[in-house]
Amino acid sequence: MECHIDADMVLTYRENRETHGEAMKITTRRLQHFALSLALAASSAAAFAQGVVKIGEIEAQTGALNTYGWMGSQGMRMAVDEINKAGGFQVAGKSYKLELLNPDTQGNPQQALIQLKKMLEEDKVRFVFGPFLTNVYKGIEGYARQHSKDFLLMGGATQIHYELGKPGNEYLIRTWNWDAGASGFGTQMVDYLKKKGAKKVAMLMQNDAFGHVAADIYREAFKAAGIEFKENWFEPATKDYSAVLAKISADKPDYLFPGYTDAVLYDIVQQATQLGLTKFWLVRGSLGPALKNKDYIDDYIAYIPKYFEEAEKNEPKVKKFIDAYKAFYKKDFPYDQAPLCSSSCYDHVFMLVEAMKKAGTVDDVAKVKQALLSFTYEGLWNVRYDKTGEEVINFDIVDVTKGGKITVNHQQPK
Amino acid sequence: MLQLVVGQLLNGVIVGTLYAIIALGVTLTFGITGIVNFALGAFMMLGAYFTWYLTDGLHVPYPLAVPLAVAAIALLGLVVDQVLFRFTRNNLINGLIVSIGLISVIVAFVLMVWSTTPQNMEYVLPGVFRIGGVIVPKMKAVVFVVLLVVILATYAALTRTWAGRAAYAFAQNPEAAALMGVRTKVLQAGVAAYSTALAGLGGALYASLYSITPEIGGSYILKGVEAAILAGIGSVMGSFAGGIIIGVAEGVGSIFLPSAYNDAYGLVFLVLILLFKPAGLFGRSS
Repeated sequence: MECHIDADMVLTYRENRETHGEAMKITTRRLQHFALSLALAASSAAAFAQGVVKIGEIEAQTGALNTYGWMGSQGMRMAVDEINKAGGFQVAGKSYKLELLNPDTQGNPQQALIQLKKMLEEDKVRFVFGPFLTNVYKGIEGYARQHSKDFLLMGGATQIHYELGKPGNEYLIRTWNWDAGASGFGTQMVDYLKKKGAKKVAMLMQNDAFGHVAADIYREAFKAAGIEFKENWFEPATKDYSAVLAKISADKPDYLFPGYTDAVLYDIVQQATQLGLTKFWLVRGSLGPALKNKDYIDDYIAYIPKYFEEAEKNEPKVKKFIDAYKAFYKKDFPYDQAPLCSSSCYDHVFMLVEAMKKAGTVDDVAKVKQALLSFTYEGLWNVRYDKTGEEVINFDIVDVTKGGKITVNHQQPK
Repeated sequence: MLQLVVGQLLNGVIVGTLYAIIALGVTLTFGITGIVNFALGAFMMLGAYFTWYLTDGLHVPYPLAVPLAVAAIALLGLVVDQVLFRFTRNNLINGLIVSIGLISVIVAFVLMVWSTTPQNMEYVLPGVFRIGGVIVPKMKAVVFVVLLVVILATYAALTRTWAGRAAYAFAQNPEAAALMGVRTKVLQAGVAAYSTALAGLGGALYASLYSITPEIGGSYILKGVEAAILAGIGSVMGSFAGGIIIGVAEGVGSIFLPSAYNDAYGLVFLVLILLFKPAGLFGRSS
């Protein structure tokens, strides 16, 4: 902000006094101008007193791998804008605003590493959100560990789950809920399937790193639930699943547990229904494949962090968020992408601000982390972190049956 | 088990014709222009997107959307040939570099316009045929018939028309063909446009069967090149057979072997055939 005092006005005032030696003749307009200038000067001083907390984000906003980063970056911009427009926030008696640095990694680990280095070394950022992609996390991991006491990294990458709590990883917080364990959404999904009477489940999963992580988790979960579990794999670039689906169909499973991205789910669901497999259970992926094949499926059970179409009607915070999104971006709300805002997104910025307030510092990352782990933030989700630093949120199990009838089951992990 | 094998034999033949249409484009382009145009996979992807956009976005009926998309891709292929590939004739490396650059441009264009979100066309012909316990989706059967007709028509045109025989003559001896009155530049441009049209047709039909993403062209061009090499580059009917061999190898292989590696089964066939017939199944040793 700039302090502005009208020089002409001052000169005129002096000339009048010196030349005429009589009472000044200042017009009403000039008086107003003078008052405005004083006000501007005062506000400038206040602005100088307000600090800036820089927060960073390393996510893929574009490129072939942007699915899991795009929504986070959208929500984060909105949160920063809302906080700043509300005048910022107070920490230990001082007012702060946020400055968001969110370059686009395009899913490229090298880009992400360069961006993180710049954030930490040049911009002195102490709080970084992302990444959601494990390959990007692996690319920055070595460097990040060297700075483990200097900053917090709050990302949703699967690999972060395995790194939490290890010595030297103090900088890590995982902003995505985990499948397994007492609070895991996967455990509750398996319980839900058991209640539906499933005795045999056939998995058809991508033969890649995450596919095998999923198999490891759910092999145990199904065994614990007493459900028979058969594993089948496919090449990640496969489009025609007829052969493997025909084999699975011959084995007559109660439910098919297909891959983890919509890019494969649409094809699998369509081709499976053609071969008589009509019941699906999945832990990642949208409802799109079910709705497209609604006349051919019998049951499609999906984990959805939040079913926004329903929540919009029942939850004022969700309605407000959707309206704010439309106003901010001047476009339709992305209902299909919005559930991914449960990781490093809108709520997480507000939660970080609350943690800084609680900790009474914007610099001491250890104290801020401790504060983050100490409370539940009630935003679009009820977000908390467990003692290891992993997110636990409420979520929905959405059950779509023939004809497209949708039943939403709200889950609140302990 | 017999049902399973017969079902996958049929499925392999149908999927194989999609590989074959790309292989045909590869073999024609190579025969006439002397380059392997890897961008044909990207043109196929673009054909799929155009068709999807015409049907789901502009509500053009699918039977009309297919020729429109194919015509658009052919025109684009002609423009690209005249602007870029014209300068790489008979230079394998330069052609390869240009085609790789072109793939980046086309994929970036699709990402920019339609994003990475998988697109799914509304079903054109839902339902299946059940023949003695063997299930064949109706749309797959239609795709097979259309592609088979196009491949046979291409073969007939190459062997029974003056232009086709001119193309064969040019492939065998360009100088002699030119001396005999073949307009070589027009022929090369025409074949380049026709090859991209074939890829566009493959994409347009593909969109009716599977979801589309910007990466689909990559795997299909590899299968297409694989089929063309397996058959012996230069053979039209060989490309057809090559595509079907790979399709059947993948389908039947997935029944008896782990499905996680089904891409490898076609490659195993390729290696085995090249070991015994280095010029490919239908190729002639020079």
